Amino acid sequence: MNKPWLYTDNVCRFYQRKTAVVKAVDSVSLSIECGDFISLIGSSGSGKSTMLNLLAGLDRPTSGDIFFEDKSFSNMDRQQLSSYRANKVGMVFQAFNLVPHLTALMNVELALYFNGTPKSKRQFLSEQMLSQLGIADRSDHRPADLSGGEQQRVAIARALVKSPDILFADEPTGNLDEKNTNDIMALLSELNKQGLTIIMVTHDLTLANNVSNKIMQMHYGQIVDQERKPNDLS
Amino acid sequence: MTFRDLIATATGNLWRMKLRSVLTFSGIVIAIAAFVAMLSFGAGMQRNIAEQFEKLGLLSVIQVYPKNTQETDSSTVAELNNAALEYIEKIPGVELVYPFESLDLGIKLGDSEKTVSAQALPSKAVETKLFSNLVAGELFSADSSREILISEDILEKLGIKSADSILNKPVIISIKLAKIDSGVVSMLRPLSDIIQTRRREMQSDTIRFVEYAQNAIREELGGALNRFIDGFMKNRETKAETLLVCGVFNSRRNGRLRLKDLILPVETAREFSSSGFTGDPTEILAGLQAGNLFVANTDSPIKDYSQATVMMEPNALYEPIRDSIEAAGFRTFSFAEQFKEIRQFFRYFNLALGLIGIIALMTASLGIINTMIMSITERRREIGIWMSLGADMNDIRRLFLVESGLIGLIGAIGGVIFGYLISRVGSLVAKTFMENEGVPPMEIFHIPIWLVLTALLFGVLVSLLAGYYPANRAAKIDPVVSLRNE
Repeated sequence: MNKPWLYTDNVCRFYQRKTAVVKAVDSVSLSIECGDFISLIGSSGSGKSTMLNLLAGLDRPTSGDIFFEDKSFSNMDRQQLSSYRANKVGMVFQAFNLVPHLTALMNVELALYFNGTPKSKRQFLSEQMLSQLGIADRSDHRPADLSGGEQQRVAIARALVKSPDILFADEPTGNLDEKNTNDIMALLSELNKQGLTIIMVTHDLTLANNVSNKIMQMHYGQIVDQERKPNDLS
Repeated sequence: MTFRDLIATATGNLWRMKLRSVLTFSGIVIAIAAFVAMLSFGAGMQRNIAEQFEKLGLLSVIQVYPKNTQETDSSTVAELNNAALEYIEKIPGVELVYPFESLDLGIKLGDSEKTVSAQALPSKAVETKLFSNLVAGELFSADSSREILISEDILEKLGIKSADSILNKPVIISIKLAKIDSGVVSMLRPLSDIIQTRRREMQSDTIRFVEYAQNAIREELGGALNRFIDGFMKNRETKAETLLVCGVFNSRRNGRLRLKDLILPVETAREFSSSGFTGDPTEILAGLQAGNLFVANTDSPIKDYSQATVMMEPNALYEPIRDSIEAAGFRTFSFAEQFKEIRQFFRYFNLALGLIGIIALMTASLGIINTMIMSITERRREIGIWMSLGADMNDIRRLFLVESGLIGLIGAIGGVIFGYLISRVGSLVAKTFMENEGVPPMEIFHIPIWLVLTALLFGVLVSLLAGYYPANRAAKIDPVVSLRNE
């Protein structure tokens, strides 16, 4: 059960900015086990989001490698990486990243376009997911007509509708008020208890302590503390 | 992502940007409409000519002429006579050969009488498509039938308004023929008076002079020959027959094929022409050359024709037949050859028109490129979202190609409809103009199915090409950057 499921081997992600080289992620080796709720914490520019994008297969490392179920990312072509994102990964962003001209239901359905779900099942699954997250009554609304909390629930519904193995959440409560933050975190915690592996980027240590079983702190592109156990984890 | 999903998504995106889409469509619509209208004009003209050729059966006709001395290298010129016609008729693929035989005849109907140019044709010749659309009546059934076909023009000249009213009516057909008898009579009649006058004029001593005697004889013989020719040419006998009008044809519709105003069955016509000379100078010259001026004008094998018509069998190739005829030393004119040249001309003509249309389409394609690039700039975030959800580069590329292809397809459909409307208006204006000018109105625009399909294909193809660069650009968007930027 607790075998290394998703891990990295000396992963680097450097950017060329004019003459300078920005080391967003610098020689990171980490391992994630199935069922983990990991929080990546650190200050702005520490490389958390870059690390998340690398693990989600949205970006490719400059050097080093990432392995998921013993399959090397560097051996995957673009299509295989897209398939990994389409089938295994759900992503939630701070800015929600909903398509503004689609309704909540259509935004959720969009996630099923790329994993071969038949059209006849898409609507049913999406409605069911919105219902589970308590926003079924908002399914015909466009993102602009929804509150921040509702938008993030739609984004989570979109991430979960394809039953992913891992949920990557990049500051999911960054744009939410306290009540909505608590609701979303309770939701994520519940999903983790149901077996979903979650990797969350946040700069809120308290929040990370409340929900994660593992916290990784990043600083200047490197993991400086990888095994810190949250105080109140039951 | 399935193609159906791509179509649905692309349609939704175009619908969302209605004004921009409509403006982009408009460019394609105008370009395709210009393309369709211009090529439909070319196609219409081509069709009119083809129909005319086909209707008259001209594509299976070869006209044969004897060469003149300048046209041939050999010292002898092949003569277009009955022997030559028999040779041509034996060439494989030749169905029928008939010479062009014309004669001047009088036609009398009631009190009206006219002299008309007539032509003798075998019944097989009149059964061809040339006469397929008679104005009234029917064709004569045999080469010796006592019937004639007359042109509408003659009816007008005879003051007959309805073609049907003359059908099966008897008309008197007459011909004036020169006879040797009238020439001799004319020569001898004044002879006794002339002899007496000459006697009085002559003095006994002058006749002894040989030169005077020679001049006197030469003068008298010359005068006798003049009187003979006067009598031969002027005192012609009239031969008349009563024939029935079996059909009326429109001679103007027969194009370059020479048709006279009166068509007689070939055997019936010979009853007129075989009794003597009609007075045609070429006929007299031919008679003199052949040595048969003073014998009856029978169906002599050495009679030369100025022209003959060859009808080919259905589906026979004209080139080998033409080559065989030309090898026999004759000049040919083939409507199929002419039609080939016309088609060649229209090929270049259509190409030039199509090129103008394509230039318009290229200009419109710039609108597509602009629209797509604007769309990509606006949808960078959406593209990033798609990629984060599992779309790969090909999905993004295909989406934008489908969008540009849809612009092209819808624009092309609109263009074909608009082009059709332009051609209808153009046709209406042209027909009104033709009617005002007294020209029989015809359809100058024609939109064949190949033109519709080509226009649709061009519209989509050019749009896809225009969308290729923007689509590639969209596919190369870095999702991390596009999501971060927002």
